[in-house]
Amino acid sequence: MVGVLIRLESTLGRHGVSGTRGGTLALLVGGAALTWYVTVVASSAEVRSQLLMLLGAVWAGAWILGPTITNGVGVLRPQYFTLLPLERSQVGTGLWATAFVGVGPALTLVAMASTARHAWLSEPATLSLGLLGMLLSVVFMVSLSRLVFRALGAAMHTRVGMEIASVQWGLIVAGLFFGWAAIGPALSAAGDLAERGFPAPVVTVLAALPTSWPIAAVDAAASGAWGAAFGLLGAFTLLTAATVLATVRLLAPRVNARGRGRRSRPLGRRRSTRRLPLLPDGPLGAVVGKELRSWWRDPWRALELRSALYAGLFIGLFGLMADRPWITLSAGVFTALVMAMGGSNMYGHDGSALWLTVVGQGRDTVRADVRGRQIAIALLIVPGTLLLGLVSVLVSGEPGASPYVLAGLLVVLGVGNGLSVLLSVVAATPGVEPHLRVDANDTGDTRVQVWTSLIAIPPLSSPTIVVALLAGGWWAVPVALVNGAAGAWLLGRLAHRRLAARLPETFARIRYGGRVAERSLPRSGGDPLDLLERTALSTNEDTRPTGS
Amino acid sequence: MPALELDSLTKTFDETRAADRVSLSVPRGSWTGLVGPNGAGKTTSLSMAVGLLRPDSGTARVLGVDVWAEPVEAKRRLGVLPDGLSLPERLTGGELLDYWGRLRGLDRDLTRDRSEEMLRILELDRAERNGTLIAEYSTGMRKKIGLATALLHTPEVLVLDEPYEAVDPVSARVLTAILRRYTDGGGTVIISSHVMALVERITDRVAIIADGRVLADGPLDLVRGDDPALEDTFVRLVGAREVGEGDLAWLGF
Repeated sequence: MVGVLIRLESTLGRHGVSGTRGGTLALLVGGAALTWYVTVVASSAEVRSQLLMLLGAVWAGAWILGPTITNGVGVLRPQYFTLLPLERSQVGTGLWATAFVGVGPALTLVAMASTARHAWLSEPATLSLGLLGMLLSVVFMVSLSRLVFRALGAAMHTRVGMEIASVQWGLIVAGLFFGWAAIGPALSAAGDLAERGFPAPVVTVLAALPTSWPIAAVDAAASGAWGAAFGLLGAFTLLTAATVLATVRLLAPRVNARGRGRRSRPLGRRRSTRRLPLLPDGPLGAVVGKELRSWWRDPWRALELRSALYAGLFIGLFGLMADRPWITLSAGVFTALVMAMGGSNMYGHDGSALWLTVVGQGRDTVRADVRGRQIAIALLIVPGTLLLGLVSVLVSGEPGASPYVLAGLLVVLGVGNGLSVLLSVVAATPGVEPHLRVDANDTGDTRVQVWTSLIAIPPLSSPTIVVALLAGGWWAVPVALVNGAAGAWLLGRLAHRRLAARLPETFARIRYGGRVAERSLPRSGGDPLDLLERTALSTNEDTRPTGS
Repeated sequence: MPALELDSLTKTFDETRAADRVSLSVPRGSWTGLVGPNGAGKTTSLSMAVGLLRPDSGTARVLGVDVWAEPVEAKRRLGVLPDGLSLPERLTGGELLDYWGRLRGLDRDLTRDRSEEMLRILELDRAERNGTLIAEYSTGMRKKIGLATALLHTPEVLVLDEPYEAVDPVSARVLTAILRRYTDGGGTVIISSHVMALVERITDRVAIIADGRVLADGPLDLVRGDDPALEDTFVRLVGAREVGEGDLAWLGF
């Protein structure tokens, strides 16, 4: 059966779009080459061991994050096999085995072979330990990768699980950005690493990581402590076995019914009336009400919102821990920025439900749809970011920074709000249809939206930045208010005009996929939005057609 | 003036011509069935007729109003139920109708009265009291709430793609009664289906479509002619694959 599944996966893979495969392949080859290079340049066996431990941790980290950040995994979904007369554990085992097919595991094996080389160079008698360690490492990393991915998907079925997934996401996003802040000092120290290795505390932490155990086992054996070596490798074998078992269990199809987890009434629902109070009649009120309810109740939307808040919170904490006040002070702005990216594929997120907007098109409904979404996001995100900003000023002990924080919040909230709705229209990318979603990243690829946001928000905020730099914080606050409001209004206007002009085309993008949508665009030239849409079509991957 | 007019609608996906100059005229107050095999172009044609899919050429008119030239005016007169699409999944049925009524510019009390009545008649009221979200609805329930959205603003023309699919027999009777009431009151209905017996029983006009082309169109009796049943006409026009003597011999015990 494993053979059949492997062939099925490679067949499905061939029909998919291979936009990112080149980039991923380059990273993998580069990583494997770097890992081998380290074993060559290390000045001593001790330093080599430390560097390999670090690289092992990086490989494991990449395996854990990769599938969630890109959209690569889960081509074969367990639910496809529910009706076959197979034991659930058989399907789980088969799906687990398919994870080892492909360039990723192969290149990981090449990289991990450096452990065997390390063993050979240290003491030829330890080669067998090194080879075993190499194999176990690959099994451990690939299994862990699937385990984390599937666990995140399983978590989306309950509120608590969604909350945990949000914390994870927040941590990942904050870690990715904080990593940039830490990269400078790391690079300046890199020259010395090959010579002298790491300081003692880092070595202690590194050696404790499970991915380091096979290398530590080789080191122990090389120094004659064969008992310790077998102990370490035995522990790693047990850990790998436990990971494999857990993965096989999670990969087996689940048979519980949708929505069974909910015991309470949906959020925002009153017993006596269907209306949210204070919402005006007419299209705008209709959209704001629908959007607020969707943000409250849809785990996938809630994930975007809450992970943005957690990301800001973690950035603040990282800044405090590293004693970098300017990082702490950026907590609120960071949340606004992450939310701008999180809301940048709202139409893809809603899937083919856009048909309602198309057939219900009235004189003012398309504008209301865009403006309503903007208002709903603002209502949800503004209180949290303002609070984060206030707290960051208080705990960092830099009261003088408050006008800068306020100006930053005003401008990023406004510009981000407008930009996310514009990108939602122009770069709409369908994911798995809403009622068929399983995994945390089933909502559609947003690569183009994320990069466009990162590139576009600074220039769009430039009036505020210039005034803040030249005239000081308090002058920047009113400028930021105008800058932010103008950004939200103008970008929103661009968005609803574009959507009104291309309403059936936007629907076709979601309903029929990229190839049909492509034909509605000029092949070259056109306005900047056409260019952006073409880029999104050729870069973002369709997760179509359905889920499981 | 016809209630709905499909005028040479053409659409090509990749190399496949999904609709090839599809023309159809649906008189006011009639109930028309659009039948055809899977992949015949029923959904593509109807999508182009209601403004969901821009045709490569041709157009559609609702009571004389061009869907592609004056979409807002045309869509005001149309009620649409597409097949198998998502809805705002995290709303309850009642909340969806409330949203839809506001979006269509209906009065608050009118929306409430109509949606309560419709939920009751379509037997969705219990789900509504339990706060069941649309994401938790069965396929049949999704059809029913979709029909409610199509009817809420009393459109003059109803376009329903596979409205009976996955609907249980009891609900199907209710659905037919609702649509009958609607046509008796002067409304026009066009439904697509591949269940001939159903179309033959409930509609008064029929159009047969295959390979993106309309093969026959008119009052049921005229299209059927001397054939004993619509299915025979259909098979005669579309052609049927026979299962030969030696085929599938392994299907036996």
